[in-house]
Amino acid sequence: MASQQISAENGIPVVVWQIGVGIGFLAAWEAVGHTASGEWTSRPLLIGQRLLQWFSGPLYPHLATTAIEVVAGLLVGVLSGSVAGLLLGRSPVLAVVLRPIIVAFYSVPLVALAPLFIMFFGLDILPKLILVSIVVFFLMFFNTFAGAGQVDADQIAAIRLMGATSRENFLKLVVPACMVWIIGGIRIALPFALVAATTGEMLAARRGIGFLLSDAANQFDMTGLYAALVILMLLGLAVSEAAARMERRLLRWRDATE
Amino acid sequence: MPPSDPGTMAKLRLVGASKRFAVHDGELEALRPVDLIVQPQEFVALVGPSGCGKSTILNLAAGLLRPTDGMVFYDDQPVTTINRSVGYMTQKDTLLPWRNAADNIRIALELKCRAMPRDEAALRVAQIIELIGLKGFERHFPAQLSGGMRKRVALARTLIYEPETLLMDEPFGALDAQLKLLLLDQLQNLTMLRRMTVMFVTHDLGEAITLADRVIVFSARPGRIRTIRSIDLPRPRDVFKVRFTSEFARLHEELWDVLKDEVVMGTDV
Repeated sequence: MASQQISAENGIPVVVWQIGVGIGFLAAWEAVGHTASGEWTSRPLLIGQRLLQWFSGPLYPHLATTAIEVVAGLLVGVLSGSVAGLLLGRSPVLAVVLRPIIVAFYSVPLVALAPLFIMFFGLDILPKLILVSIVVFFLMFFNTFAGAGQVDADQIAAIRLMGATSRENFLKLVVPACMVWIIGGIRIALPFALVAATTGEMLAARRGIGFLLSDAANQFDMTGLYAALVILMLLGLAVSEAAARMERRLLRWRDATE
Repeated sequence: MPPSDPGTMAKLRLVGASKRFAVHDGELEALRPVDLIVQPQEFVALVGPSGCGKSTILNLAAGLLRPTDGMVFYDDQPVTTINRSVGYMTQKDTLLPWRNAADNIRIALELKCRAMPRDEAALRVAQIIELIGLKGFERHFPAQLSGGMRKRVALARTLIYEPETLLMDEPFGALDAQLKLLLLDQLQNLTMLRRMTVMFVTHDLGEAITLADRVIVFSARPGRIRTIRSIDLPRPRDVFKVRFTSEFARLHEELWDVLKDEVVMGTDV
């Protein structure tokens, strides 16, 4: 809406402005890069070259490592977190017993657990996968727990009167009713999953985008550092786009209007 | 419990059933002890001012509430848990927003206790959609349907599994007059065709006289039965015209005389 107004007033589409600002920013950066402090800022052209070189081959093992950590960690965390949220959300007894314990664990800054996992599980994918899973688990748990408590009591009464068993009530009503919350949780969890994976990689790893980043930093390779940041930005964008698509697809009914 | 003759067995029996709710500063008496017998295939309308316990009676019949004192029997069995012989259509429709109209209507047929082959279920859904005038709206989500259409979906969803007793709590409250008559006509046809027992809560006396074998007038809170009046007009009735007959006018006047005092007293606080 706003973008249409701007383009109507100026006669220039917003995207042209955005490209203009982008080019201006890169040009300014390039200019600074040619000055004395250039070795700290690197230059867009150098970063571009490095990215091209990375994309010709050496990047892929790192990308795959981070992708596996994020995707597998999400799978584990989303499944366990939403199942735990659903169960505790619908069972007052379980909730009273277990929820304070979960809250206590959540009070530990989760990234602080990374060194522990690295000690336990080594330098490969496993410790990061666990870290991602745990971060995602908590976000999913709290979101789903909130949703499960808000399932409409009248709808439960209606489906029970039709003859639904507890199991059918759960599968046909509670789970789909919590879908909005689960998907909301996934959307929140996705960027955190990326943060958890790269943080773990920066602490100790042999592969991964986080490793590329810390490795470049350790060698004062500013171009490599910025290139790794660009990759992370692209990954982040891809991840949130994927989340938005999934949400649109799974929640078609909510956006349905005449 | 005395042995019962199946020929005269009541469908629903309330024996001194009352309901009190705990509220922050004591107790709220929703329903004074009520005795009521509903016969099989009878259509009973409950009218009365807001908060007079009409809905409480439906909740007792459905087993969603237990009486504080007294007993509720269904087919001479005490109602101690959710009563699956009833279909309950509440004031607020409880359609599932993530299912389209057809899938909402089908849900009861997906349950294990009413399981049937997929194509048979699909046929039943198609039939009732046709019958209730929802053709062309099968794929619409509840959010895309008007209030009247949603009521039709809720009605179809309740009727499709042919519960032997139908509990209805002001099901067509917020609809315009013409649409309401149309749905009342469909309701009358279907419940007679399928030999259902119906308890129909309404605040519209005209609606009650149009449909019911007996109209039960409740007093203002705490609710108790003021009057039970048999409506001797032969059923099925022409819902569009019956209200212009002299018998209807006479019954309306008679019952309104009882109801109006209660409405004045029962004004919500």
